[in-house]
Amino acid sequence: MKLGEHPGAQREGPGTTAHARMRMLLRGCLPLWLLTLPLPMEAAVTRLEISPPALKFYGKGARERVFVTAVLSTGRAEDVTARASFRSLGACVQAGAGGSVAAVRDGTSQVEIRYGGGRAILPVQVARSAGEQPVSFQYDVLPVMTRAGCSQGTCHGNAEGKGGLKLSLKGEDPGRDYEVIARHGGGRRLNHLEPGRSLLLLKATSAVPHGGGLRFATGSPEYRVLGRWIAEGARADAAGAPRLVRLEVSPRQRVLVEPARMQRLTVLGHFSDGSIRNLAQKAIYNCGDPMVGVDADGRVEGRGGGDAAVLVRYADRMENAFLTFVPVRKGFAWKTPPAYNWIDSINDRRLKLLRLQPSRPASDSEFIRRAYLDALGVLPTPEEVRTFLGEAAAERQEEVRKQGNEEMGKWGNGGNGKAAITSFPHFPISPMARAKLIDQLLKRPEFDDYWTLKWADILRLEERSLDPKGAAAYQQWIRASIVQSKPLDQFARELLTATGSTYASPPANYYRRTRTPADLGETTAQVFLGTRMLCAKCHNHPFERWSQDDYYSLAAIFARVERKGELTRRDQFDKHELSGEETIGLAKEGEVTHPRTGQPVAPRLPRSGRALDPSVEDRRVPFASWLTAPENPFFAKAMVNRIWYYLMGKGIVDPVDDLRDSNPPSNAELLEALARDFAAHRYDLRHVVRTIMNSRTYQAASEPNGTNAEDERFFSRAIAQRMPAEVLLDAISQVTEAPEKFANVPEGTRAVQLPAPAVRGRHPFLRLFGQPGRESVCECERTNETTLGQSFALISGGVLDGKLKRPDNRIGRLLTAGKTDAEIVSELYLAALSREPQRPEVEGTLKYVAGKPDRRAALEDVLWALVNSKEFLLRR
Amino acid sequence: MARSQNSIACADFWRSRRASRRELLTVGTVGLMGLTLPGLLQAEAAARAAGKGGPAATAKSVIFLYQWGGPSHLETFDMKPDGPEESRGQFKPIPSNVPGIQVCELLPRFAQVMDKVSVIRSVSHRFGNHNPPGYYGLTGHAPPLDDQRLRDTPDLFPHYGSVIDVLRPAPREIPTFVAMPAVIRDGSVVPGQHASFLGKQHDPLLILQDPNSPEFKLPELSLPGGLTPERLQDRRSLLQMLDKQVGLMDRLPAARGLEAYHERAFAMLSSPKVKEAFDLNKEPASVRDAYGRTMYGQSVLLARRLIEIGVRIVTVYYCNPGGGFIWDTHKNNFPELKNKLLPTTDQAVPTLLSDLAQRGLLDETLVIWTGEFGRTPKINKEAGRDHWPQCYTMLMAGGGIKGGYVYGASDGAGAYPVENPVKPDHIGGTMYRALGIDPHTEIRDLQDRPFPIAGEPILDLFR
Repeated sequence: MKLGEHPGAQREGPGTTAHARMRMLLRGCLPLWLLTLPLPMEAAVTRLEISPPALKFYGKGARERVFVTAVLSTGRAEDVTARASFRSLGACVQAGAGGSVAAVRDGTSQVEIRYGGGRAILPVQVARSAGEQPVSFQYDVLPVMTRAGCSQGTCHGNAEGKGGLKLSLKGEDPGRDYEVIARHGGGRRLNHLEPGRSLLLLKATSAVPHGGGLRFATGSPEYRVLGRWIAEGARADAAGAPRLVRLEVSPRQRVLVEPARMQRLTVLGHFSDGSIRNLAQKAIYNCGDPMVGVDADGRVEGRGGGDAAVLVRYADRMENAFLTFVPVRKGFAWKTPPAYNWIDSINDRRLKLLRLQPSRPASDSEFIRRAYLDALGVLPTPEEVRTFLGEAAAERQEEVRKQGNEEMGKWGNGGNGKAAITSFPHFPISPMARAKLIDQLLKRPEFDDYWTLKWADILRLEERSLDPKGAAAYQQWIRASIVQSKPLDQFARELLTATGSTYASPPANYYRRTRTPADLGETTAQVFLGTRMLCAKCHNHPFERWSQDDYYSLAAIFARVERKGELTRRDQFDKHELSGEETIGLAKEGEVTHPRTGQPVAPRLPRSGRALDPSVEDRRVPFASWLTAPENPFFAKAMVNRIWYYLMGKGIVDPVDDLRDSNPPSNAELLEALARDFAAHRYDLRHVVRTIMNSRTYQAASEPNGTNAEDERFFSRAIAQRMPAEVLLDAISQVTEAPEKFANVPEGTRAVQLPAPAVRGRHPFLRLFGQPGRESVCECERTNETTLGQSFALISGGVLDGKLKRPDNRIGRLLTAGKTDAEIVSELYLAALSREPQRPEVEGTLKYVAGKPDRRAALEDVLWALVNSKEFLLRR
Repeated sequence: MARSQNSIACADFWRSRRASRRELLTVGTVGLMGLTLPGLLQAEAAARAAGKGGPAATAKSVIFLYQWGGPSHLETFDMKPDGPEESRGQFKPIPSNVPGIQVCELLPRFAQVMDKVSVIRSVSHRFGNHNPPGYYGLTGHAPPLDDQRLRDTPDLFPHYGSVIDVLRPAPREIPTFVAMPAVIRDGSVVPGQHASFLGKQHDPLLILQDPNSPEFKLPELSLPGGLTPERLQDRRSLLQMLDKQVGLMDRLPAARGLEAYHERAFAMLSSPKVKEAFDLNKEPASVRDAYGRTMYGQSVLLARRLIEIGVRIVTVYYCNPGGGFIWDTHKNNFPELKNKLLPTTDQAVPTLLSDLAQRGLLDETLVIWTGEFGRTPKINKEAGRDHWPQCYTMLMAGGGIKGGYVYGASDGAGAYPVENPVKPDHIGGTMYRALGIDPHTEIRDLQDRPFPIAGEPILDLFR
């Protein structure tokens, strides 16, 4: 796997620095193949790798474990900790089987490790060995209890506690837990004179009845830690005790190709006294991918492919390891496809690693249909299809003429305009005609309509709480922002800092739709940071960096938003239904109260934790500046990830509004490059859309090849999806030339242009096909699932039937114009499928029409079949 | 109510992995990079062949009543009037028509049909968040982790009904598997409600309307004016010609799903039986009243009408109209049960059992009543009971199952099984066995790996 072969490798672009990282990653992964196989007799041990690379001990009886990996001459690596021999070269430590090293006396020495002809030296240092190092509550006692499950949400970590004992969730609050365990009930849980008779131990060992049963056995290592702590007086950690400074997890990122499917994680704690501790058997592990399992000692195993973040947590720190398990795919041989732009260079590197060959590029008619649907939410007209197909064909002929004898299938186009000669098997494509078409689409008013709809979904633009006038104003403001190509950072700032009347100053509706500081914090995080914060409302998120403090200090940003106006309720049973004008302003005071402390919470910027200047009048202003600062990666990533999702059918992070450490992007390098490029181009929506649509990655066919049929995550082919509700209804109206009529909007309004879903009597077709009610900020509220009900609606439902029967529809027009059957059939195919009928289709269809007594009815049947075809219903 | 996660979810995973080969296979299902769809089709055909010639069937169909949120076993069929004081509830038990079997005083109609019912008082598992055990109870397969975020992905196991649709499909014009009246969810959609890796064509026919509403009907089941069945057939042949032209589209899951639904819709449109079954107005008002004019009651009645025309399995979720849970009585356990949940249940379910018996259908219809877990023996500060998967009760009736029978027992507080503990795996095995499907039958996932469909049946429950 030489990277130099890759055409994109030397290209300048947003991926350049990330590329260097990828190179390192590749080097790192090679020796780990076949991790689980026994050592073949003929393979020699090249070297031994040890982890941690050195040990520092403090205190009497200190003990650590070292893991040994043998790197073989075949390039493969194997965990040999259990089989290696360990010998202490000095008197200050003892070393034993299984990598156990124990401190004996102060000094500096080495441990020699041997396996299969390989040798490694572990430097060790022992200090203060005379004095017993006290058991730490935070670093020894709580981790033991957390691992035993005592403080999990279903047990004592529950908001209610269990059996009268309430601990913080997974030990997130050591101070309070110490009080509860050591002090509450007059210290009844501990027996200092006879530690073994402490209630804490009796319960955990099930010596007395315990709802949670046996957590660990008498005499187990866990038991000894707790017992020693009690015997030492059950002390809280001293102020000067060593603190955990850093948690180090390795490997951070690794790709394992079958048959390798196991990876041991190394977890090291760096403490403030300089000691390094092996925490592999003290940390807790979590992985969200059911295809990947982790045991209690940090051994990760994947089955048949998977891409998972394993979250490692110890005390107050957490780190992630990103592991990808790749099936071997016999006979796979990567063929480098041409890169149209830097997106392809980055994505192809990922695909090569995952052994996925990208699909061929889409044909011209597949492309034009997809481009219209994705950018505009409408179908191209027959004239537009004919024009584009003609231009594309001309470009191809010109290219063939220029290339002389070059074989047709051997050319593509580099993103910088240079031709890259490859052997990529693909249809001849037409890069100039496609780029020109994309530029044209970006200027069309339908682009503004369609992207307004997307923003209106996210901002939950609906009439129940905004009232029709407010909703219309809000929608027009969004649309005007898109028409003007308002940079998305400015768009976000205008929303977040809005004041004034919900009628006259439309972005103020942001504060009308979402009405409490807590909801505003949540909504803002989900919409603009792509982060779901709800978990942190009640407790520190157990697997995320978001804490409960973060949640309330973000809410505090919105504590002084004030609403004035007489709102009436149109429906006395619906407390959310509000009518009338409202004015958003700022109060002079107002704070958010932390539910745990009962104290007001100071507003802080997320992640950085920086407190706001207390004198600032509008807290939202510094927040909005922080959010949209070019050096803030979260905003740009969240935005480009959404745009990518709209065009590709799947986010790089999926779901799109769930960016978090334990839900890794399918291609981190690509997401970062897109975000940088977005920030560098003044947060311009059209720029991102243009860049993505011009990539070969976007233009790939949906049809799979032999390697990528199951891939719907790494963008090796286009994802076929049913058209969204509004687009489908508009497409049916367009193809039949029978526009749909909607209540309370001017005639000719398309479904995509509707300001909001109707409050009552929502269009049944739209609802059936997944139009969201805009109740949730979650992108997932819009569904494109197929159901039996949808099939009924298309086969026998009234909407399509009515349009087919309308006398003045497309069929009626063509008949009146005196067109022949052949002309009409051709026109219907172009309108519905963006292609001419193929010969068997022409013959079959003409024969059908000729054989029916009622010509018009027969043509209705033809159009019915076109609309019901998979080729019509799917964006592919 | 998203409870927090299990700290050692992945350790749990390993524990379940060690438990048995079957569980190992369950959790290690499909990855991102499985086998191709033709492989799936072959696997299905093999499964269908393997499913033939199982044990003799004692039931033709199943009515699966799922109480979403976790019904309290201690206020229904496993009362502990002599239990510890802090766990004793406010309701009293009453005798039933079977000596020795008591039920809650709020279930007087149930008391008169216990001779038709097997009570299983020792169901037990270890998943305490709603979604994972919700999935477990619908599929008979332990979830890979006890995490509220358990995602509805195609590597998780399908609903019982989808497996039945593969192994014992109803005639094509009849849906095999109907589910109503909502899709259950706790934040996200609960996995295990559809066909998952078996493919969309085995998904349930979802009725997402309230059968108790006067507007309830399936307008889709009628053809518009001017569209004769013959003309529909003509149109279908045109459509087949078109779809054949782009044969490659068969390899796209989205395309296959569309086609499967279209096929089914065509078949149902040409059958009047289905249309009539959905017309609850065909039922005498007295019968409708007997089931209760509630969403649950009318759903249960509709379930009976559907199995009468040959639907194999109808799942009725007792949930709120949006699919949220209704039995999750962390607060005000007693008034909730007394004023709403138990009266509705006591009207619908005993009526169903008597109605089936009168029509001679009880012997061939297996009725199952369960939820995802029970409730804590100890009553909490808000007079509620919390989640308790360690021990709960479910009911089975008809379809060859003993009546007036109690299987398994819990301890004095209703906290742990003390006799014959069973898991949802065994319930699934029992149901398949009743349908004459060998629970060891293998189905194959997207990676072509074989899985037995369920655990061992509880043979003691059969007559």
